[in-house]
Amino acid sequence: MGRAVGIDLGTSTSCVSIIKDGKPFAIPAGDGNPIQASVIAFLEDGSRIVGNAAKAMMVENAEHTIYSAKRLIGRKFFQSEVKKAQAVCSYEIVEGPNQSVRMKARGREYSCPEISAMVLMEMKRIAENYLGEEVDKAVITVPANFNDGQRQATKDAGTIAGLNVLRIINEPTAAALAYGFGKGLKQKIAVYDFGGGTFDISILEIGEDVYEVISTAGDMYLGGDDFDDRLIDYMAEQFMRKHNVDLRQDRKALQRLKNAAEKAKIDLTEKLETRVYLPGIMEEMGGKLDLDISFNRNYFGQMIMDLIQKTFKVCDEALQNAHLTVENIDALILVGGPSKMPIIREAVKSYFFKDPHAGIDPEQVVALGASIQASSLVEARPGALLLDVTPLSLGIATAGGLMDVLIERNTPIPTESARIFTTTREQQAAVKIRIFQGEDRKYENNELLGEFRLTEIPPAPAGMPKIEVTFEIDANGIVHVTARDRDTGQAQSVQLNVSGGLSQEEIQRLKSEHRGEEEVSKYKPELELP
Amino acid sequence: MDENFKRQVLSMAKVIDELDYYQILKLDQMAFDDDIKRAYFGESRLYHPDKYFNEPPQFQAQVTRVFKRVCEAYKVLSDKERRSLYTKQINGADRQKFLRFDLKVLEQEKAKKEDEGHTPMGKKYYQLAKAAIQNKDFKGAKINLQLAVKMEPQNQTFQERLKEVEDILAMRRKL
Repeated sequence: MGRAVGIDLGTSTSCVSIIKDGKPFAIPAGDGNPIQASVIAFLEDGSRIVGNAAKAMMVENAEHTIYSAKRLIGRKFFQSEVKKAQAVCSYEIVEGPNQSVRMKARGREYSCPEISAMVLMEMKRIAENYLGEEVDKAVITVPANFNDGQRQATKDAGTIAGLNVLRIINEPTAAALAYGFGKGLKQKIAVYDFGGGTFDISILEIGEDVYEVISTAGDMYLGGDDFDDRLIDYMAEQFMRKHNVDLRQDRKALQRLKNAAEKAKIDLTEKLETRVYLPGIMEEMGGKLDLDISFNRNYFGQMIMDLIQKTFKVCDEALQNAHLTVENIDALILVGGPSKMPIIREAVKSYFFKDPHAGIDPEQVVALGASIQASSLVEARPGALLLDVTPLSLGIATAGGLMDVLIERNTPIPTESARIFTTTREQQAAVKIRIFQGEDRKYENNELLGEFRLTEIPPAPAGMPKIEVTFEIDANGIVHVTARDRDTGQAQSVQLNVSGGLSQEEIQRLKSEHRGEEEVSKYKPELELP
Repeated sequence: MDENFKRQVLSMAKVIDELDYYQILKLDQMAFDDDIKRAYFGESRLYHPDKYFNEPPQFQAQVTRVFKRVCEAYKVLSDKERRSLYTKQINGADRQKFLRFDLKVLEQEKAKKEDEGHTPMGKKYYQLAKAAIQNKDFKGAKINLQLAVKMEPQNQTFQERLKEVEDILAMRRKL
C-alpha cells in the first residue's frame, strides 16, 4: 500500500504535497523547488526531461518542448482555444482521431492526457524520492470551471501515470481547504484563482469542518499566459514596424520572445520598469537584428487591463448567483502565480474592499489543499467535508433546438436527475440522447459531452417503452448515464458513441507503456530537509 | 464502523423515497433559512460519502444515495420560490408525486402565472423587457418594464418583474 499525495497539475507549474507531522507540506524536487514547470523536453536520443530543467532548455529545444497542455486537455481540435494555442505555441499542434488534439515532438504525436501523465509521473517521482516510499494514490486538482470531458481527461492522465486517482477536486475549493483547515472558522470567503490558463472565482461558506461552495464561475479562456501573449504581440509588432519581419513565424524566435515576455511580466512584479533585450533574434540579409524594448508597469497594466476587468465581470456573476455582495465576504484568498502581480492585487483589493489574506503562498496553496483531501479520504476520518457544486448546467438536446436542463449549475454534488424516454416509431430498437454542458438556451452553443444510445429496446408500439435514464454527476464532477426499463426494472443497455476522449484500451495501453519506463533505483531519499 | 449507524443509514436509504425534503433534513415546515443551512451541514456530517471511503462499495452506494437526496433537499428548500411551490405541492392532494422537485413543473407554474399583458403596448414593452433580460441589459429591461407597468398598472407579473430587475440593479450598484 503506497502513500497518497495531492497534486496541483497546473497550466504553467505543478506542485505535489503530502501531510507531514499533521500539516500539508509541498515536496521539493531535486533542485530544491516544490514548484516545477509543467514542461516536457523531448530530446534527440529519445529520452525526455520534465520540469524546471526542461523549461531551462526551451529555447534550444523549441520545436520539441511541450508546455501548457492543460489549455488543450479535453478540448476538440476545432475549438478557438486550440487555434489560439497554435498561433503562439512553439510546438506543433495537429488533429487526432475524433476531432481530438495531438501535440507533436520528435516526429511522434501525443494526446493531452499522455502529456499531462508525464508531468504527473514526474510529480510522483519527486514525492517518492523525497519519501523513500512508493506513491500510488493522488487527489488531482482542476479548475472549478472544467467540464466533464476535461475532468475525465485529467483522471485518465492520472491513470496513465500509474496513480489511483482518489478524487478530482476544484482548485479554489482546495485552496479554501488549505486556508481554513484546523482553524474552526465560520466565514464566507471568496477564492480568486488566476492561473496560467484559466480564471475561477468560488464563493464558499466555511462552517468549522464543512466547506460549502455556494457558487462558482470562471473564464476558461483567461489566464496568466494571456498576459504573456499580449507582451509577445506587442514586442513582435514593434519589431515588425522597424524591420518588416514577424518574429512569431520563427519557432526559436517565438520561444525567445515567450521566455522574455514571461520574465518581463515577473520583473514588473518587483520593479517598475523593465527592458527586454534579445540580441541576434533574427538573421536578415547577412546581418543580425536585435530586439530592444523597454516598458514600465503602468504601460503593461494598460495592455492587460481589459483582461483583468473580465475577471470582475465573472466575480459579479458568482456573487449574484450566491445572492451575496462584496460586503458579505469575510476573507479573500488569492491563488495562482499571476495573482502575485501588484496590478492584480490592487485591482482585486479595490473590487472587494479588502486586502487579500496574507501568509498563503498562491503557488502552493492548491497542492496543500489537495493533500489534505487525499489524507482525509485515505484515513476516512476527514477533518473537513467538501460540499462542492457542479459549475455547468447539464442538459439534453431537444427537437426544437433548445437545451432541456436536467441539472443546473451550482447544484451540490453528487447529484442525479432522471428522465423517462420512449420511442417514436413502431419496433424502434434504439434511442439517441445527446448530452451538453453550458448555460446557453440553445444546445448547439453549449459543449457536447457525448452521444448515448439506448440499445436493444424490446420491440413494441411507438410510445410504449418507458426507459428511465438517470444522469448522475459524481463527486469528481464527472457525468455517468445509466438506464433501466421503468416497468421491469431491468438494466437498459447504454452505449457511449461520441466523446472525444481516450478509450479504456488506449488508456491501459499507455499506462503499461509508461510503467515500463520507471527506473528500478528510484527509492532513494534524495534530500533531508528540516 | 459503528453497527448502529450502519443500520441507521441502511434504513434511511430504504425509506428515503417516502420522505419529503423537510423530513430528510429533520426540519419543521416553518424553518428559517439559517435552520435549513444548519440542517444541511448537520446531515452532511452524518451522510457525506467521504467519511466512508474505505467501506464496502455496497454501503458507500447506500450512503451516497441518502446524501444525494440531502443535497437535493437543500437545493430546493434554500430557494424561496422553489421552497414555496414545493411546500404547497407536498401539502396538497398528490403528495407522493411531488416528493422530488421537478424543474419542469417550476417552469410550467411560472408560465401559467405569467401574465404577458392584455394591451398591445403592454405586451410589446414586456416582450422587449424579456429580451433585454436575456441579454443581461437590466437597465434597458427596467425602462421597458416601467413603461409596461404604466400601460397596465394592475398587471402583477409586470410589477414583480420590475421589482426583480430593480433588485439586480441595486445589487450591482453596491459592487
